[in-house]
Amino acid sequence: MMVPFLSLLNREIRRFLRVIVQTIVTPLVSSCLYLFIFGVSLGDKVQINAGYTYLAFLIPGLMMMTLINNSFQNSSSSIVTSKFTGELEDLRVVPLSSQAILWALGFGAVVRGTFVATITFLVGSIFFYFQKGFVLGVAHPFELIFFMIFSGLVFGFLGLAAAFWAKSFDQLGAVNAFILLPLTYLGGVFISIEHLHPILQIFTRMNPLFYIINGARHAVIGVSDVDIGTSIAVVSFSVFVFYWVALWSLRKGSFARWS
Amino acid sequence: MKPCISPNRVAEIACRFSEFKSVNPLPLKVENVCKTYTVKNGSLVHAVKDVSLEIHPGEILGLLGPNGAGKTTVISMITSLESIDQGEIQVFGHSLKTATLKAKQKLGVVPQEIVSHGFFSLKEVLTFHSGYYGIWNNQDRIQFLLKKLGLDSHQNKMVKQLSGGMKRRFMIAKALLHKPGLILLDEPTAGVDIQLRTSMWEFVKELRKEGVAILLTTHYLAEAEELCDRVAIIDKGKIKFQGPTGNIIRELTRKKFEVELKSAYTGADLSGLAKASSGHIISVEMKSNKLFAVVDSQLSLGDFLFHLNLQLADIMDIKTQEGNLEDAFLAVLEGKNKSPQAAL
Ligand SMILES: Nc1ncnc2c1ncn2[C@@H]1O[C@H](COP(=O)(O)OP(=O)(O)O)[C@@H](O)[C@H]1O
Ligand SMILES: [Mg+2]
Repeated sequence: MMVPFLSLLNREIRRFLRVIVQTIVTPLVSSCLYLFIFGVSLGDKVQINAGYTYLAFLIPGLMMMTLINNSFQNSSSSIVTSKFTGELEDLRVVPLSSQAILWALGFGAVVRGTFVATITFLVGSIFFYFQKGFVLGVAHPFELIFFMIFSGLVFGFLGLAAAFWAKSFDQLGAVNAFILLPLTYLGGVFISIEHLHPILQIFTRMNPLFYIINGARHAVIGVSDVDIGTSIAVVSFSVFVFYWVALWSLRKGSFARWS
Repeated sequence: MKPCISPNRVAEIACRFSEFKSVNPLPLKVENVCKTYTVKNGSLVHAVKDVSLEIHPGEILGLLGPNGAGKTTVISMITSLESIDQGEIQVFGHSLKTATLKAKQKLGVVPQEIVSHGFFSLKEVLTFHSGYYGIWNNQDRIQFLLKKLGLDSHQNKMVKQLSGGMKRRFMIAKALLHKPGLILLDEPTAGVDIQLRTSMWEFVKELRKEGVAILLTTHYLAEAEELCDRVAIIDKGKIKFQGPTGNIIRELTRKKFEVELKSAYTGADLSGLAKASSGHIISVEMKSNKLFAVVDSQLSLGDFLFHLNLQLADIMDIKTQEGNLEDAFLAVLEGKNKSPQAAL
């Protein structure tokens, strides 16, 4: 019963490993740039409470940023390229249940997201070591695993749903550029909410990504702008919501190829 | 003498038989399906209207029709790519509505359009694909099919590197991984060279021998005639004719006789022959020493000569031409019961 699911998951993972340069190098380069520009160069000038360096503050935020981006990319580009080649029609014809497709793509996204986030963490740790002379640990490893898996699922499901409804590559790009990216940048990756204008604070608190990013921050350095329980609740609820959105998209969306 | 089978025994056999039927349901049963598309400007296209089909094990059914007749739409409904607006489809007794996965498990599909695979080699795709059918290790079958379809030396190539004909063969391999009992082939030989086409048909015949049921669409009627046990002719979404290939040809086509005589014909009144033969002779024409006749396909040459009151000694030469599936097909499309036959 697990074989169809595992086969599709296997395919999903191998698919992104085939384009490993694109999947790993791009986030690696951008993370290095962020770490260098913000963490190292600006680091001393940015005020951070609780005695943490700005670099340490930045690392979990960047991890989640790459994770969100990569999990979304993994499932959405898988579906969209399959629409192009006709492979999506194949998926409809074979005896794969909607559940199997959903979870295979979701966990494919988790694997890629976690993989890239871990690399970001390692790169950040190297910067940190050179700056501070000691190794950056993970304060709450299980929390981190939880946030990586659950956030990966959220954005894997979202990518699946968006790709099912997209009529072109451009439409999918628009979801990424006009929704996901702004929410990520305004989700407290670079700055603590305390330093924001009160009005912006209200908007930030309405952004679910803010809770995800701060959850990961709590997991890595033990401090966060929000209560960890709230973060866990928001992520869990998001998995639930996007699971249904994705399932609905699978059932109602079209598997037909783009011609 | 006592009857050797008592009425009770008959009832028992009948009961067994119905059990047998429910244990061995038909590979494909399509009942009164309809499909309407809504096109962009809001108008409706009735692509399939009230279509019913049946295929038995080890049988090839040809679904024939001009472009746009609805063949691919019928196939798409069987493969769940399109929803069924009305009616019911069963694959080995599993309804597509209530037991979709069980039905899909029994089904192999070679779609009309080429499917490409951007990232993977032939072997990888076949391995994943076997997995979707629940088969984790299928290497023996994969190697068998690759060899059978002449692809084994390409198995580590990327699918996108294959030529068009190889991609077609690869799609056939993909459809057969799980040994389906029902195979749908949607114009599998469109754009394929003659050599490959011939070997594909040989392969299809082998599958039939193994008891696989095959639904085939094509517009190469000569092939359909050679291959299909039964044909269904579809036009504008409606099935116009369905039956054994031989019957269709016999019922819908005419034979042509060309009789060359030693001297001009002076026998019976040619214009009265149609009546005299009770309609079996449709027309006879005389041109110099030759008689050109179009007759019903049931009429034998002997009967024809008898009606004309001709002796063998009068005859120099006789040419006959049987009707073929193409004639029958055209007859159906023209909406006539009998086709007027083109000149020899
Ligand atoms: N997705 C679609 N949307 C709208 N109309 C369609 C669609 N697919 C097929 N049709 C129309 O339905 C009819 C039957 O098409 P099709 O089944 O592809 O024919 P065939 O395979 O016999 O050539 C055609 O008139 C075609 O234009
Ligand atoms: Mg077609």
